[in-house]
Amino acid sequence: MDQAHIRNFSIIAHIDHGKSTLADRLIETTGALTSREMAPQVLDSMDLERERGITIKAQAVRLFYQYQGEQYELNLIDTPGHVDFTYEVSRALQACEGALLVVDAAQGVEAQTLANLYMALENDLAIIPIINKIDLPSANPEAVMEQLLDIGIDGTEAVLTSAKQGAGIDRVLADVVEKVPPPQGDAHGPLRALIFDSRFDSYKGVLVYIRVVDGCLKVGDQVRFMATNKLFEVSEIGIFGPNPVPVQELATGEVGFFAAQIKTVQDTRVGDTVTHAQHPADVPLPGYRPAQPMVYSGLYPVDSEDYHRLREALEKLQLNDAALTFEPETSAALGFGFRAGFLGLLHMEVIQERLEREYDLTLITTAPNVVYEVTLTGGGHLRVDNPARMPPAGDIALIEEPVVDADIICPSEYIGAVMELASERRGTYLNLDYLDTLRARLSYRLPLGEIMYDFFDQLKSRTRGYASLDYRLSGVQPADLVRMDILLNGEVVDALSSVVHRDRAYDKGRALAERLRQLIPRQLFEVPIQAAIGSRVIARETVKALRKDVLAKCYGGDITRKRKLLEKQKEGKRRMKSVGTIEIPQEAFMAILRTEHE
Amino acid sequence: MLPTEDWGIYVHIPFCEARCTYCDFNTVTGMGQAEHLRYTKALLGEWQSETVPEGSLASVYFGGGTPSILDPVLIGHVLEALWERLSEPVTAPEVTMEVNPGTVTAQKLASWQDFGVNRLSIGAQAMQNHHLRALNRIHDVSMIRQTVCMAREAGFTNINLDAIYGLPGQTLQEWQETVDGLLHLGPDHLSLYALIVEAGTPLHRAVERGQAELPDPDLVAEMADWAETRLTAMELQPYEISNYARAGYASRHNQLYWRLAPYVALGAGAHAYRPGRRWWNVRGVRRYMDLVEAGVDPLDGYEDLTVDEEMREWLWLGLRLREGVDLRRFFQRFRISASQVFGGVLQELEAKHLLCEDGHALRLTPRGRDLANVVARALVDAPPDMLVQDSRAGDVELKDQSCTGTD
Repeated sequence: MDQAHIRNFSIIAHIDHGKSTLADRLIETTGALTSREMAPQVLDSMDLERERGITIKAQAVRLFYQYQGEQYELNLIDTPGHVDFTYEVSRALQACEGALLVVDAAQGVEAQTLANLYMALENDLAIIPIINKIDLPSANPEAVMEQLLDIGIDGTEAVLTSAKQGAGIDRVLADVVEKVPPPQGDAHGPLRALIFDSRFDSYKGVLVYIRVVDGCLKVGDQVRFMATNKLFEVSEIGIFGPNPVPVQELATGEVGFFAAQIKTVQDTRVGDTVTHAQHPADVPLPGYRPAQPMVYSGLYPVDSEDYHRLREALEKLQLNDAALTFEPETSAALGFGFRAGFLGLLHMEVIQERLEREYDLTLITTAPNVVYEVTLTGGGHLRVDNPARMPPAGDIALIEEPVVDADIICPSEYIGAVMELASERRGTYLNLDYLDTLRARLSYRLPLGEIMYDFFDQLKSRTRGYASLDYRLSGVQPADLVRMDILLNGEVVDALSSVVHRDRAYDKGRALAERLRQLIPRQLFEVPIQAAIGSRVIARETVKALRKDVLAKCYGGDITRKRKLLEKQKEGKRRMKSVGTIEIPQEAFMAILRTEHE
Repeated sequence: MLPTEDWGIYVHIPFCEARCTYCDFNTVTGMGQAEHLRYTKALLGEWQSETVPEGSLASVYFGGGTPSILDPVLIGHVLEALWERLSEPVTAPEVTMEVNPGTVTAQKLASWQDFGVNRLSIGAQAMQNHHLRALNRIHDVSMIRQTVCMAREAGFTNINLDAIYGLPGQTLQEWQETVDGLLHLGPDHLSLYALIVEAGTPLHRAVERGQAELPDPDLVAEMADWAETRLTAMELQPYEISNYARAGYASRHNQLYWRLAPYVALGAGAHAYRPGRRWWNVRGVRRYMDLVEAGVDPLDGYEDLTVDEEMREWLWLGLRLREGVDLRRFFQRFRISASQVFGGVLQELEAKHLLCEDGHALRLTPRGRDLANVVARALVDAPPDMLVQDSRAGDVELKDQSCTGTD
């Protein structure tokens, strides 16, 4: 199709403001799927995503829409909805000319609304404001219009919709045609196509999702990926309608996918530029950066014989997840395993869940940690992604930790509570302004390690659910950090080491020892638990020896049931890791995260 | 020691006047004389279609529920029907009646005697009225004393008393009073059980809601240890984890269970066992009666045990007994020695000082008795040193059938 009749757009929204339902409605209204074929939220294709109600992998759908007697090709590019995937969102937006900014008519503008809006504006996208869920009794579209005005969007232009009831959908489609500019690429120049996503298909190899910016891609073309410098021959091109449909080419401005016998998504980096091998473009499209893991954790099979199966599973997952990194690691306590790097905590949980669910592995996962930049007194530099590898304090000249700039939007009466939380998490105050008379935006610089686990939950509970959060990485800053070890039975358990702020080490050590005492079941012998910094013990607890473990009653009618009970208990024990002679449950390894604020 | 061909009969009487807070047995309340009669007829019907095991009948046990709630005439009918189909045993079988002190009269006791009941198992549970009330028992402490007195007067010479420790709010002193109070009644046998909070019971709900607080496990352990010392001094020897008896008064019936002897089961929800298979009846009392009356087997489910599984059960059940597992009898039953099949795990348990081998017996050490579950768990799924071929034909196919019992 000619560029004048193409519109490429995304939907951006705060979580739960109705993005997926709106997408469903657009697909349904344009007739891409009949309502009978529609599973709710068709764009979220992995089970896990649907279960968790979040979108992890972007996907693109081509819709055909008749407007004033002419046919338009509308490409809806879905974006992930979680802060772990900010970079992926930015590349998906780069593939568009416009964005639907969806705001819940009852909730109003939230932190992610703003963060997504700014990202869309950075990519020069036309913004179509949409006030959704107007069917809710608590909907207040007028107030939302004013909030939009405060953030520089003309709220009176907003389309009022109820995606759930299908109201306002035609107006949305008309606005897409009228307000989103058509692509402006050079149809005759050398090929430049932006990779905004990819996924592994076991029959076709990697499917590469692209937006053709300049030139044209045809089946049989030899292509080069400019960042990874890999060469492939395009074997198949397709679009999603939303079911895959083969096509012969993708012209300038179009969105679709291709296959080229690519074995792993490691070769197809999001943000990379695809060009022709014979007539390459001179410069790639801007904005590419390699995926950088932010959070690391140790993955160990409970049964050491599963080590190779774990490696195979990680390799398979990596085929479809360019952001996942892992390398072999040996722990004195846990044996052979892997240090894996993730974009964030959600990414980590999804991977762990898939390993256990799809690959039937029983794993011990160590508490996630951030990466510390360490300058040694001798002048050397280290990147420490495992607390157990943090050098002794005497060898360290400087430790720097990653920090984020966070925006928190909340009703003004909760400013005090949010400030208190931020200061507990070692936050540095940056700014405070008011969105309107009732709502404030607080900005803080916070250590990533302090917010990655339960910061958001705490924020929600201290603001009765009203606060919203968004953050972006903003480099590293020095901090007075020390390594805290845990000793069980006098032996350091490396997998329980953590890096803590020196001023809080004592409290954290006490809380952690106490929590471990609760989590480690009684053993056949007494188990002393100690928290130590260097050789100095800062806390001590004891797990008393198990005195009795016996079935009081076992008669004729009980035997089957009691045997099943024993088998079940045995199964429970199998989920524990034997460290030396001590059996430790998975939760104990996560205790590091859960001590301080309870 | 019991000869191998001994077997037993368990008769389940599910009726209760009220349900105790901790009880998860198959019981019903609110059924009257008419249902009692109908149920008894069903028991007789089920018995008529039972295959009688070979060997000699060692024990008949009326358990519940509350068997003592029944009109004794009905017990008489059941016993008569049992004897009718059996040849005269060499020694008179043990015939036990579970008794709730709230349901006893001198007349009932005399009738049971006449019909051949020769052992009573009286549920005392505690010797403090506030604990009895909290457990929703239908009797008080004085009725426990009275029941035992009347039973002696009626001529019963083999009396067991049940008690529970680890009750919500129970102190060590209260437990000591309970034990001493029971000893004062001169029992021939005592069963002392640590309270198990079973899912679905009122007690479980109370604990979940924080309305009942269970004692610290260390205190419960202390209660058990104190009782063992006390009873041993009083010539009541522990012969099983929870059971104590004067010399010669160990329960024959329960020993059948711990030695994997065959037993016939009659009644709703009752479990039966023959080498290689265990099965159980439907739990619903009315459903049980309907099925038997319609001439249908009231079977609810079954499980087939491979030789391997049976060997494991033989060990962990047998180890509950103080005398332990007789390794020669193990060999007689399975034609292979325990050490050949499970040598690895047995050695491991011995190295942990939980097990000891003493001549022909495999026993728990004192520490092993405290941690019998550690031993049992190890035995339930230890990898065998060698795989044992199952000689019973057709076993594999049977294993594949699902057994959907509610147990």
